Amino acid sequence: MRGLLASEFRRFRSRRLVKVLIALELLAIVATGVIVFLTQEYALVGLPDVLMGTSLVLVSVGWILGASAIGADWHAGHVTTILSWEPRRGRVLFAKIAAALTGVFVLSLAIQALLGIALAVAAAGAGSTTGTDAAWLAESTGVALRVAALSTIFAGFGFGLASAGRNTAVALGVGFGYLVIVENLVRGLRPQWTPWLLTDNAGLFVVDSPIDFPLLGRSTIGAGLYLATVGATLLLAASALFRTRDVN
Amino acid sequence: MDTVIEVEGLRKEYRRVRGNRTVALDGLDLAVPRGGVFGFLGPNGAGKTTTIRCLLGLVRPSGGRCRLLGEEPSGLHRVIGRVGSIVESPTMYPRFSARRNLELLGRISGVGRARVREVLDEVGLAERADDQVKTYSLGMKQRLGVAGALLKDPEVLILDEPANGLDPAGIVEVRELMRRLGSQGRTVFVSSHILNEVQQTADRLAILAKGRQVATGPVYEVLTAGHATGLLVRLDDVAEGLRILGEAGIDARVDDGLIRVGLPPADAARVTRTLADRGLYLTELRADEADLETVFLELTGGASTEGSR
Repeated sequence: MRGLLASEFRRFRSRRLVKVLIALELLAIVATGVIVFLTQEYALVGLPDVLMGTSLVLVSVGWILGASAIGADWHAGHVTTILSWEPRRGRVLFAKIAAALTGVFVLSLAIQALLGIALAVAAAGAGSTTGTDAAWLAESTGVALRVAALSTIFAGFGFGLASAGRNTAVALGVGFGYLVIVENLVRGLRPQWTPWLLTDNAGLFVVDSPIDFPLLGRSTIGAGLYLATVGATLLLAASALFRTRDVN
Repeated sequence: MDTVIEVEGLRKEYRRVRGNRTVALDGLDLAVPRGGVFGFLGPNGAGKTTTIRCLLGLVRPSGGRCRLLGEEPSGLHRVIGRVGSIVESPTMYPRFSARRNLELLGRISGVGRARVREVLDEVGLAERADDQVKTYSLGMKQRLGVAGALLKDPEVLILDEPANGLDPAGIVEVRELMRRLGSQGRTVFVSSHILNEVQQTADRLAILAKGRQVATGPVYEVLTAGHATGLLVRLDDVAEGLRILGEAGIDARVDDGLIRVGLPPADAARVTRTLADRGLYLTELRADEADLETVFLELTGGASTEGSR
């Protein structure tokens, strides 16, 4: 099992998609730092809001990486090769899930940390660092952890759908269709179902302000647990399918 | 007989749209003894790859049993470290190098980098080991697949069409590799449609048609089963040769300028001695037996079942 995990972690690190997305995010961080430095107006005390603003990008990246972690293997036929080395399918899927979700969590956290450092440097040089006390640091850290957790949960959604559909595009298409079309329709036509919408719960989990999401009727932790439960259910269903279906 | 692959009444049905079913395996029986090269032949769609997928636990049989090194698919993890395989076209990550691909696979079972170097060298990919696999030719990808199958230093190798995409030199290399591996005491189970290769390489074979075994045994026995065997003799003086053989009580007749002798190839020495004692020296002597292609076409009806299964 250790060898399988090591192999999957190494593969995740080596993937071109991961490298490209990291490069793009680093580019965005550098550009943000330069713009902030040039405008000379940035107050570092607003960092938590900036980190919240990264959530959409990081959640999208998490979904893509989660989906492609298994979807690319199905597409290339590599699942057959792996199973001829480790026929216990539960272990194979667990290793892939562990590598993908851990990778997305670490990546999301690292990207936010780099963004924070870039903004801190820019603010220290040509802005304001007033108000950056211990409470600010705790709040910033909390936001970064919640955003990283959310992108990890959405990576689980992507992984589960791609595993069941045996294709990355299935996960991306279903995800886009559900989140953008179905949830918006439900929100307009059946507002009483709002507590079960992923996007609203994700918003509450990141913003950490239940008062701004009165229809949900749950706490920030409750929203996070709900999302995690949906993600775990999806992964369990994908695992059951992976263990029982033929690999042709 | 110590068998490494045992298949009993193996059946596999696939459900198709509108509830239709296609039968890929229809009660297949198979026993592969330990050691040597075992050829697994059949037309496209006969069920060769499905059999291999069942053995490796990739597809679930609809009925019957199959065991690899004594383990059914549910216990395959106990013996998988002793089995190397290629199923159809070997798949590796195209943007990784051959070395990285093999290292990733090797890490699963704790196979080290030294062994990766060995197998890359063994299949002739050492010089291109650090190039991306997507730049490889089909034949090179096939060799990489063979390297992956050899990585665990397995006692059983299951190779599904290993010569696919290889040029003539590559086919010869794979043939020699299979012979070498078979002679080392390993069992090489190879499915192929290149009959000539199997005839030259395999010690035993099984022929599959419509999901069932239609012949199995040592290559020579399969080739001679149901076929008259004999010897073909070429002489300058055919009439005299025919007379001498007749006087010696050997069944012989003229056939297309040659003498067809009704003795098994093992009795060739008796024919040469009989003729030489009477001052006749033959210019050609060869076994008169069906080749694998003829036998194969007779047993399988000659038709591919691809698309109907």
